[in-house]
Amino acid sequence: MTNVTASPPAKPSWLGLLPRPSVVISVGAVLAAAVLGLLLIFAIGVPVSDAIGAFIDGTIGSPYAIAASLNRSIAFALVGIGFVIANRANLVNVGGEGQIAVGGIVATAVALYGHVAGLPLGLAFIIPLIAAAIAGMLWGMIAGVLKIKVGTNEVISTLLLSFIAVWLLYWCVQSPDLLRKPMTSSATLPESLEIPDPTKLPLLTGDYSFPVHIGLPITVVIAVVAAIVLTKTVFGLQLRAVGFNPVAASRAGISYARMVLASLAIAGALGGLAGGFMLLGDQYVLKDGFSSGYGFDGLVAGLLARGSVVGVVAAALLFGFLRSGGINMEMVAGVPTALVMVIQGLIVVTLAGAAFFIDGRRA
Amino acid sequence: MTNRTKSMAEPLLALKGVTKRFGSLVALSDASLDIMPGEVHCILGENGAGKSTLCNLIFGVHVPDAGAMRFRGETYRPSGPSDALSNGIAMVHQHFSLVHDMTVVDNVILGQQRGFVNTKAWAQRLEKLANDYGFALDPYAKIDDLSVGERQRVEIVKCLIREPRLFVLDEPTAVLLPDEITALLDICRRVAAGGCAVVLVTHKLAEIKKAADRVTVLRGGRVVARSDHPADEIDALVRAMIQGDVKSLDKSAASMLGVTENGGSARVAPNETPPREAVQIDALTVTDGQGVTRLDKFTLAIGPGEIVGVAGVEGNGQSELAAVLSGMATPTSGRVFLGELETTHLSPKEITAAGVGVVPEDRHAVGCVVEMSVAENIFLNRLESFTSYGFLRRKALVSAARELMTRFDVRAAGPEVPFSALSGGNQQKAVLAREITLPKLSFLLAAQPTRGLDVGAVAAVYGHIRAACARGAAVLLISSELDELIAVADRIVVLYRGRIVGNCAADPREREHIGAMMAGQVQ
Repeated sequence: MTNVTASPPAKPSWLGLLPRPSVVISVGAVLAAAVLGLLLIFAIGVPVSDAIGAFIDGTIGSPYAIAASLNRSIAFALVGIGFVIANRANLVNVGGEGQIAVGGIVATAVALYGHVAGLPLGLAFIIPLIAAAIAGMLWGMIAGVLKIKVGTNEVISTLLLSFIAVWLLYWCVQSPDLLRKPMTSSATLPESLEIPDPTKLPLLTGDYSFPVHIGLPITVVIAVVAAIVLTKTVFGLQLRAVGFNPVAASRAGISYARMVLASLAIAGALGGLAGGFMLLGDQYVLKDGFSSGYGFDGLVAGLLARGSVVGVVAAALLFGFLRSGGINMEMVAGVPTALVMVIQGLIVVTLAGAAFFIDGRRA
Repeated sequence: MTNRTKSMAEPLLALKGVTKRFGSLVALSDASLDIMPGEVHCILGENGAGKSTLCNLIFGVHVPDAGAMRFRGETYRPSGPSDALSNGIAMVHQHFSLVHDMTVVDNVILGQQRGFVNTKAWAQRLEKLANDYGFALDPYAKIDDLSVGERQRVEIVKCLIREPRLFVLDEPTAVLLPDEITALLDICRRVAAGGCAVVLVTHKLAEIKKAADRVTVLRGGRVVARSDHPADEIDALVRAMIQGDVKSLDKSAASMLGVTENGGSARVAPNETPPREAVQIDALTVTDGQGVTRLDKFTLAIGPGEIVGVAGVEGNGQSELAAVLSGMATPTSGRVFLGELETTHLSPKEITAAGVGVVPEDRHAVGCVVEMSVAENIFLNRLESFTSYGFLRRKALVSAARELMTRFDVRAAGPEVPFSALSGGNQQKAVLAREITLPKLSFLLAAQPTRGLDVGAVAAVYGHIRAACARGAAVLLISSELDELIAVADRIVVLYRGRIVGNCAADPREREHIGAMMAGQVQ
């Protein structure tokens, strides 16, 4: 019978590097959504030229804007890659938000109180980063263990673990016993101290007018490694086997438990690393809500990419620049936040719709 | 064998020059066919001959690339299965589409009714229908608890309850017991007598003798022969189907086909004195979640180079036995030894490493990952042997797979096509290739290894099983085809309600005796 409805990751393209949907249709979808968005902006009375100008300023208008957009994209890309890896095993990791949060908390804690600031060879920031990744990994593995031991659906567990992590973050920045900076007055903000300079991620150019940090090359390397692991290694093949048919995989000696745990651990580690990058790379101070939606947008990037690592990177870049441009449209042109989010949503929907269209054409 | 259909009556369904391609593969080429109302029309052909494709075109699963179909005198271009159904065409697929957590009656109601549901009325209708056709079917049984044979009856009832004009059955007898096959053929005749046309896809000639009004033979996607008097022309039909002679067939395969009257004697003489038991199964007991004993103190020793057959009606403990032996389930009590090694509680991986090859009963659920390539499936249990520094040596994998595909005659466009593109017989040959070529194979467990396969494939499977046995492997062959067991095994144990009720030589003269034991008539 040939009625095999391909489940999530359909056959990956060569090396997983080429996104299958034809680029033209995807770009067309984004443009269509952008036009719709502009119509909306026009409808609420904001001059369209102002809005476009603000968007361009906020995305590619200055080296600083480009750098900020790229830094945002890093977090989306890491969470998205993690999503794609777990999805190979037919797991849906919606816990990016929580994994970012624990990563950020642990990175801050280690940077501030781990006596790492004096260490040579970049260990001052490498150790907090590794700690962040480990924290995220453990957070992801909780869901894995729950799934293996008692069969808890990972969608539920990773989502709920995100709420726990977000409130953990709130607690950490509210309680002086945890990470809140010493209370000197009643006006002391609920946030941590600024991390010491040696623990901040070095900038690629060393120039604060273009503050892209070393997270960018690291993420590129991770993306390449992930694409290779998924397509060129036995581990990638075994993940797929478990994702498609866990019973047959298990009969063939591939441990379902190991694959579930490993893929959620990797996804969690990437989420934690994203949190570490955000904190050590451009925020420097731990605040409540610092992850504000990055985890969920990263998840959407992973979903839109539909199994292709390059697709994730493309979606992450799109989201990074969109978010920067949106913030600027809001600040400069007075476009309401809600509308910016509507436009983002429109783009996601048209992209998803385009994918459907492309599939229909290929069948 | 001439085409003498000078039809006075209008055909119910007419196919004219229908062609269907899948990529570069031409599954059906310029096929023309008339189905008359009230006839049982058999489609005969080997695996990959295009039988399933033909059914799927009729049922609207696929759209033909060329040619035309006419149904009841009008152009027929079904947009999908639901369109076919509303035209009065019902089909029983080779693979079932049942919701496992639901009851029989719920499955029948699905897709047939909207709004409120009177389950009780449906159940009564169902029972009556089953009764009319001589089936016993509990409308409130859960699909999960039914054997494969029983599940198929649900599929059949699902179709018949729609009172179709055209009833298509794709390889329906592969999973049935001899008595059930007779009953099914009887149903087909009765359905046809009611004016409905029945299209029966098969490769068993005995069935054609019993039930077919007309036969169309497919080979390589083409119609190669037609017969209006199939019962008289069996030999010619076989020649057309396999492009060879009946005499050249493996004798036991021929007996499976029903070409010769009884099997036996074709088997390689068993090793004279098995030196030591290769496999020792000790009082294996499996109790399911409801406390029902599924397997009751199953004790058996198999020597190296010995083939032991397990006979029995499906659902009498065979699945549980296979699950425990392959490491997919833990027994409630009892032990299993492979030589000196106890394997009772080992994982599938460890059991595989110990040299146990398993051809699972349900090839799709347990035997393969249909979304992955043929090469990946053939080496699914030893992908690690194709790595260097963690990287997959894909070229080595593909060329090793190509070699095995040649050796085991797995026909596919290449090692890298998805497993789902293979026909059932080729899928089974690929699974067999994987399990039999296991390094250090000492025990081969084959459950229903020839289910749904055509003659050529059946002969090949027997050949490979015998070869494994000749190399000293112990073989446990679980089958619901008694003829197969008699033809291939050295001795046979009979399972009834989880218990061994008989143990005898695989001799055609024991046939009746074994049949009685399978039915629970223990003297």
